[in-house]
Amino acid sequence: MNAVEMHGISKEFPGVKALDNVDFSINKGEIHALLGENGAGKSTLMKVLYGMHQPNMGTISIKGKDVRINSPIEAIKLGIGMVHQHFMLVPVLTIAENIVAGAEPKNGLFFDLHKAISEVDKLAKDVGFTIDPRKKVEELSVGERQRIEILKALYRGVEILILDEPTAVLTPLEVKELFTTLRQLKQKGMSIILITHKLHEIMEVSDKVTVLRDGKTIGTVLPKDTSANELANMMVGREVKMGVKCRSTNVGDKLFEVQNLCLKNGDRFCLKDINLYLRKGEILGIAGVEGNGQTELIEVLTGLRKPDKMCLKIGEHEISNNAGADEFIKSGIGHIPEDRGERGLVLDMSIKNNCILGYHRINRFIKKGIFLNNVIGKYARHLIKTFKIKAVNEEIHVGTLSGGNQQKVIIGRIFAQNPEVVIAAQPTRGVDVGAIEYIHHKMIEFRDEGKAILLISADLDEIKSLSDRIVILYKGCVVAQGVTDDFTDTDLGILMTGGKISNEER
Amino acid sequence: MGSLLDKIDIILISTIRMSVPITLAAVAGVFSARAGIMALGLEGMMLAGAFCAALGSYIAGNVLIGLLAGIIGGVIISLFHGILTIRYKVDHVISGIGLNLLASGITTVLLQTIWGNRGNSPEVNSISPIHIPILGEISPLVCVMILVVILSWIVIFKTTFGLRLRMVGEHPKAASTVGINVNRVKYISVIITGILAGLSGAYLSIDHVNLFVREMTAGRGYIAVVVNILGRYNPVGALGGGLLFGFADSIQLVLSGDNIPGQLIQMIPYIVTLLVLMFAVRYIRPPAGLGKNVED
Repeated sequence: MNAVEMHGISKEFPGVKALDNVDFSINKGEIHALLGENGAGKSTLMKVLYGMHQPNMGTISIKGKDVRINSPIEAIKLGIGMVHQHFMLVPVLTIAENIVAGAEPKNGLFFDLHKAISEVDKLAKDVGFTIDPRKKVEELSVGERQRIEILKALYRGVEILILDEPTAVLTPLEVKELFTTLRQLKQKGMSIILITHKLHEIMEVSDKVTVLRDGKTIGTVLPKDTSANELANMMVGREVKMGVKCRSTNVGDKLFEVQNLCLKNGDRFCLKDINLYLRKGEILGIAGVEGNGQTELIEVLTGLRKPDKMCLKIGEHEISNNAGADEFIKSGIGHIPEDRGERGLVLDMSIKNNCILGYHRINRFIKKGIFLNNVIGKYARHLIKTFKIKAVNEEIHVGTLSGGNQQKVIIGRIFAQNPEVVIAAQPTRGVDVGAIEYIHHKMIEFRDEGKAILLISADLDEIKSLSDRIVILYKGCVVAQGVTDDFTDTDLGILMTGGKISNEER
Repeated sequence: MGSLLDKIDIILISTIRMSVPITLAAVAGVFSARAGIMALGLEGMMLAGAFCAALGSYIAGNVLIGLLAGIIGGVIISLFHGILTIRYKVDHVISGIGLNLLASGITTVLLQTIWGNRGNSPEVNSISPIHIPILGEISPLVCVMILVVILSWIVIFKTTFGLRLRMVGEHPKAASTVGINVNRVKYISVIITGILAGLSGAYLSIDHVNLFVREMTAGRGYIAVVVNILGRYNPVGALGGGLLFGFADSIQLVLSGDNIPGQLIQMIPYIVTLLVLMFAVRYIRPPAGLGKNVED
């Protein structure tokens, strides 16, 4: 008897068939991954199970009993819990308060905080978390917050746990810890459903994979009988080349050089004595655990933050340390920002307007201070076509596009302006496999034109497959650099965690 | 020497008296703010409360009925605000300001139609003070205010309803995913806001004086909004802020005899408001969901 059995589930939204006759089941004590591109219907299917959507057709049975789930509250009562991608936590409340809210222990008329704290403490110890329930959630790291979300579900006696893209926001180390937790919960007999589009995670942690595409079940397979490549093909519906090494064959002269870059935050060095260079026709990857100075490096190299010391040259042209971001853009430095929602796009503006952000002052788009609407519109349509952005037209808000298409708007905006160097930060974060492949392809094309890319990514596989050379950052210092293929995975792991001698001051 | 002590005595008593309406309204605001609803309509609720209290007392000749009528008046306006913001997701500022204008207009019109006077109502029965040792003659509503502050603090910080209330104000989606009925919590808090703001208005018309005067709230509802923030959305803080503004109000009484132009003296509470807005409020973090309408 399966813990959950969903049979023939169909769900229509006005104009779209989100789910079409989907079957899904999970056993007790199993980790089952739900794989699919953005928009394939994974989240919709799980929202049906969690009572947030009502299916138009199909049956759901929990532990062999047919049920109708009309709301999350009913789902919780049936033992189904969900950890949302965007955490449902209140930062100013304590861990204990967040966990028990909605099912609080009472002492007469009053909320029994002591009992809440002791219950949470016990629960955390059971699954091996070390937390102080009195701490406020705002003091916690993202990984810790996710544990609180899991505890929240466990507190309600959940036996079936749905995790929506749980690793999207985690550092590699936190991902490892999460997987350890999930395996532990599995040992205790819990059924865990993992919504994801990351293939290597599936291969690592799940017992079974169900692949969805365009709202249909493509199949259920065992990871041990398949490969990441095969899963990618199932997910996209055609041959996908994953992580193909593609080294530059035509490396030229130095194009971009950073010398003695120092940046202080208070009296602490965020970046210290960074020296690096980019040659024509190469991609330089910055490897490192997140929070080791990558963000600051990007900000300095795009003019968003003033360094304390730096000598920056692009070609023969030296950029002053006081230059603003516009001067960096004019000098031919393109910037694909780390967080596209925050710095890359204005989500409530049209694709058209987003296509010229940062380049809106160039003569082509402007006449006597007035935007040339037709020219910009035509330009936007051109970008949509060349960069394969899936959008009805250029007037719709960028925020309505999928992550992959939003990223393509940024990629198009930058690459179409023909910069010399591109600072590409997390260019494929939160983007589906098809779009990743496309973006990587574009980056390599750009490189082969004799341009250069500085690639900053939390995804080590991405760094390894794209970069010709690698620089490793640890605590704001360059601890090693060299040709990519000279580093083994173990080397990288050790260097990224400060394994070798580093001469940084503390 | 004696006159100085007298003055201190006057200031003390009148600080407490003046702080009652502002504190009550600010505590009213706390309940709304903690549920994520911006209570910009406090002025209107108070005005409606003041008018209805006078009317109730006038018709029934009984202050308790007046008080009850005042509370109902406040609740009517606050429920309007609640329905507009919760059900129809109207912008909280627009709804609040709109209701303030509505209350001002309606009370003026009703003044004219009921009593045939644009400026004020006839005198009505008012609440008689009670004798308390040391403080002397004082309004029973002062005791009610202190009780309200203590009870509100307990409700917000020590009960399960309070926890749910704070959760709704901070992150309504999080609250609804753990099975909290967000709209119910919001409506309850809006009604509490109306009760307290109506009470505050009633104090103005049938306790502080014994008649309703057009626009008699004189911006106290807006000051209460500021006091609410200054008090960090905490009832006890609201009492502190209320006393501060009560003090600013009462200095007027003492200073007005001296050679300072009256207009300057009357500006004091509003100047205090400006100073608070400029310097103190910046460092206070409001509930994260304040004033936001969430799509369900």
